[in-house]
Parts: sequence; C-alpha cells; structure tokens
Amino acid sequence: MNNRDKARLGLIPVLAEKHPAGYIGRTALMKYMYFLQTLRDVPLGYSFSMYSYGPFDSDVLSDLSMAESLNLVSSTTVSFYGGYGYRIHPAPGAEVVKDEAREFLTRYKEDVDWVVAEFGNLNSADLELASTIIYVDREFAEIGPPDARAHLISLVNEIKPHFTLEQIERSVDSLQHKGVLASI
Amino acid sequence: MHGFISLNNWEREIVDKPAFQRLRRIRQLAWTDQVYPGAMHTRFEHSLGVMHVISRLYNAISSRSLDVLRDEFGYTPEGLKRDEQLIRIAALLHDVGHSPFSHASEELFPENEKGAKFQHEQYSAAIVRTQFREVIENHPLNTANYGFRAEDVAALLEGSTKAKQTLFWRDLLDGQMDADRMDYLLRDSHHAGVQYGRFDLNRVSNTIVAIRGTRGRAPRLGFSEGGWHAAEGLVLARYFMFTQVYFHKTRVAYDIHLKGALSEILPRGKFPRPVGGELDEFLRWDDWRVLGELHAGRGGEHGKRLVDRNHYRIVFKSPEIPGPGDLPFLEKIKLRLGRLVVATEEASKSWYKTGVADIPIVSDSDPGLVQPLSWYSNVVRSMKANNQVLLYVRSEDSEKARSIVREEVESEQSRQGTLGFDSGAR
Repeated sequence: MNNRDKARLGLIPVLAEKHPAGYIGRTALMKYMYFLQTLRDVPLGYSFSMYSYGPFDSDVLSDLSMAESLNLVSSTTVSFYGGYGYRIHPAPGAEVVKDEAREFLTRYKEDVDWVVAEFGNLNSADLELASTIIYVDREFAEIGPPDARAHLISLVNEIKPHFTLEQIERSVDSLQHKGVLASI
Repeated sequence: MHGFISLNNWEREIVDKPAFQRLRRIRQLAWTDQVYPGAMHTRFEHSLGVMHVISRLYNAISSRSLDVLRDEFGYTPEGLKRDEQLIRIAALLHDVGHSPFSHASEELFPENEKGAKFQHEQYSAAIVRTQFREVIENHPLNTANYGFRAEDVAALLEGSTKAKQTLFWRDLLDGQMDADRMDYLLRDSHHAGVQYGRFDLNRVSNTIVAIRGTRGRAPRLGFSEGGWHAAEGLVLARYFMFTQVYFHKTRVAYDIHLKGALSEILPRGKFPRPVGGELDEFLRWDDWRVLGELHAGRGGEHGKRLVDRNHYRIVFKSPEIPGPGDLPFLEKIKLRLGRLVVATEEASKSWYKTGVADIPIVSDSDPGLVQPLSWYSNVVRSMKANNQVLLYVRSEDSEKARSIVREEVESEQSRQGTLGFDSGAR
C-alpha cells in the first residue's frame, strides 16, 4: 500500500467524522472525493467520468470496500420507500490509517473542512446535480462556448431531465456564489 | 458462446476496418495461456460478444421498463430504437483502444498534461473520432436513419457530458452490470477451461430493469426481485474468476514480465499518446509486433524470462482478507527477504479487482420497494474486498527465499494460525 492508497483510505473515516451527521452516504463520499480533487486540487488520483447520476469512479467504491474490509469504517443500509441508502461510520481501525496518512490529512485539512462546510448540507439528489453542473462546467471551461451559463443549464437539463430548469438554475446560482464555476 | 451474432451492413463495415481487425491480434487475457493453455482468445470476438449482449440487455430493459424510460427521459419507441443502434456501435468499439496484451500493458500508457495516466477508454474514443469517423458518419444506414456523429459514440465511451441522456446507458458499457463484464466472464471461463465465470445470462437479461429515481435522484439499472439469484450468480462469478484466473499467481507473474519487457521495447518506455499522429503509431502496436520483438531477443531480462518461460516465483502471500496482523507479518518477511523480493503485487491494484457490488433489486409486488442485493443475499452481504498481497522472487532465488520464509513462518506459527505459505508446488 503506497502513500496515496493510505491517504485515500484515511480520508474516508475523516469525511464521515467531519460530516455534521457523524456519518456519510455513498453518494456523498463519491461526490466529496470529486469535489476535493476537482475544486481543491487534492491529489487523490481518481479518474472520474460522467454517468447519468453524476461524476463517478468505481475506484472510490473499491476504496470504500477496502476500508470496510480493514475495519476503518462500517456501513449500514437504510431503507426508505422507493430506495435505500448507506450510512458510513468511522470504525475502531480508523485511527491506525489516519496516523499513517497524517501528513496528507494535515496538509489537506482545510480543503476537507471546506468541502464539508460547503456541501455537507446537500442531500444525495442535490449532490448529484451540483457535481454534474461542475463536471459540465469544467468541460465548458476547456472549449468555452459563448453564453456558457445558458448552455450549461441546457446541457445539465438534458443529462438530468428529472430536474426542472428552475432547480438547475438555483443550483448554478449557488455554485457560482461559492466561486467554484470556471466557465461562467 | 452466444450462438450466431447478427450484424447489419453498417456494423459489418466497421468490423472490416483495420483498426477493428487489429483486435484479432490483441489477446484478451495476455499471457494467461501460460497457466490455462486454452486462454488464447482475443478482443475481436469479445467485442462482437459485448455488442450482442448489450443488445439483449437493452431490449430487455426497453420492453420491461418502457414506462420508466418514457417518464424519466421522454423516450418513445422510435427513440429507443435509435439509441439501441448507437449503443451497439459503442459496444462494438469499446475496446479498440487496447494496447498489446490488453490490461497487462496499460501501466505503460503515458500521462496527460495534468499528470494523470491516459486510459484505454480515451484511446478508444480518440480512435473512434479518427479511424472510424468516416464509416460512422457517412454510411447510408446512418445518413438515412440516425444522423449519428462519431463524437456521439466517443462521448459515450469516455463518459463526456456530450453524450447527454444516453449517459443513462453507460452502465451497460461500464458499470456493475455491464455487457463487457457479462461477456468476458463467460468467454474467459470458456477459453480457460474453467467453470468459475459461468452465470445465468438468460435469466439476467430477462430480469434486468430500469428503476425510477427517488427523492430527486437519477434512475438506475437493477434487477427485478425474481432475478436476484441471477444477479448474485454474476457477482459470485466475478469473485471466483478473480481468485482463480485474473489474480492467479503465475498469471500475475507474466504480467510483471510483460510490463518489464515492454518498458525496454517501447521508445522511452511508454506507448504513444492518443493524440494527433501519435495515435497512428499506437495502432501499429499489437501482440504480433511485441512477440516479434521478443523473438528477436529484445525486452531485456523480462523478455528473456517470457521467451524461456522462466517466470518469477511466489514465495509468500497474505490471506485474501488480511487480518490485523497479516500485513505487518508480510512486511516482516519482506524485510527479511530484502533484495530477494523483486515484485510485490496487490489484489487491490488489479484492473479486475472486485470490490463489493451492490445492485438495486426492485420488488415484484411493489415497484416502490427497492433494496440492495446485499439485503437479499447472505453471500453478497458477507463479501469483502480482496486485499491479498503476493511476494515474488526470481526463480533462481526461490529455494533460498522459501527457506527464509519457512523459518519466519515456523517461528510465528504458534501465534498465528492462518498464514499463507505458498509451497510453490505448482
């Protein structure tokens, strides 16, 4: 296990601890990792690509499986009508990996705190939408279409038609207010 | 494998292109034939198989979940027919970006300007945009019926937002229940001569469904309740194939040698990038060319080991799910062996690593009741990620190394009962 592996594993219980709820879900874990890497340049080495549920890299879930296997975190399933979710809690083994990844976790503590502060109040659907907007924004930032805002809202709506244009606009406004959009 | 696979004229012309025919010269499982002699199959037949399987899955979902697709994405029967063709072509071309001997050589892909290593999907997308643009965009079947651009296929393959709502189908190309995995498990199992990768594809493709998004989330692919054992079989097939074929100790050793040999054979030790003229040079690399280089005596020590079948030997391995003391003990042995250890391979780094799949299952009696597969399956609930670590030495050092390992194991055995000492008998 190299230092980057330890850093990725150490980050999982840290994100769970820092979340206001004291745990995080799988969607939140995936999107927080995306935000850390994309918005804060934290060198996690993931390769996110786009799915209808937002940016995704199966390596994040592989790391979660590994963290569970090593007893760094424990997961429980929560059911609700229409679906289910996960609650990922820190487990006793977390302290060992946090210690091994201490230098990384110290260096990027502000970034982790920032992500939890800015996005910790969003539910899974809002995280899917916000991360999709940021992914589209980053693609637009490279090719630069004129009137990027209108294009961005329109494209996000095509990818995620179950959101209304008004919902997408509100989310774009919120992300713009946070200063995380590069194309607008 | 699947009986007859039907292609229309458009697909046949795509298959006839040199960049597709190159897949006949890229083995699916690299040097696995050194363990399982029948595993000589190529990416060519796999690509045809993936196109076939994805059609089966797509049509099953389209007929069983038409209401979900209509409500969530506004699909009409005509729209579904159109996107089926797009997804078939994407499936057909999903592997055209593979380097020689498939995943085994991907570590030698160069890095982009941001320092991230290129991935074979990016090579596939770049090849679609260049080598296949003309045949995709100008074929009469396309111009008269669909109007697809090569970019539509490339965007779907690499997960670009330009794929728009067709991103929903990307899970069939690269996801927990993708056609790629379904084909390679069955195909690899068949050619290797093992039964580990078998699962009930008929049942899988008759119970796969689209599940409505809830609480504002996107819809997902899953299985109807009647198919959860078939889904469980798919997960188990993957687990067994990983432990018995993909992470087989000798197969892993040949991956080490292939990477080592290629790093000497390739200019500057890396494949060309998937940009501009470099892409043409990348496409000139296939298994035949690498084998020619090896036959000519190139590839250094690793090349010679490949030619002589004198592979590294495993001397110690951790359990698949290491306990608290297992990895520290492995590190202790590694320290004791010192320079004798020439490679340390981790299951968690393998391209084929399994992780823990959790597939949505929707109740047959109430479509609002959705549970993960792990809720239904005791076996899946108990599965953990494979974190096995393997230590290798040169064959000429194996006796000396085994003697050292034996000493360490014997001194620890009274305290630890589950150490994995590989006798090297096979």
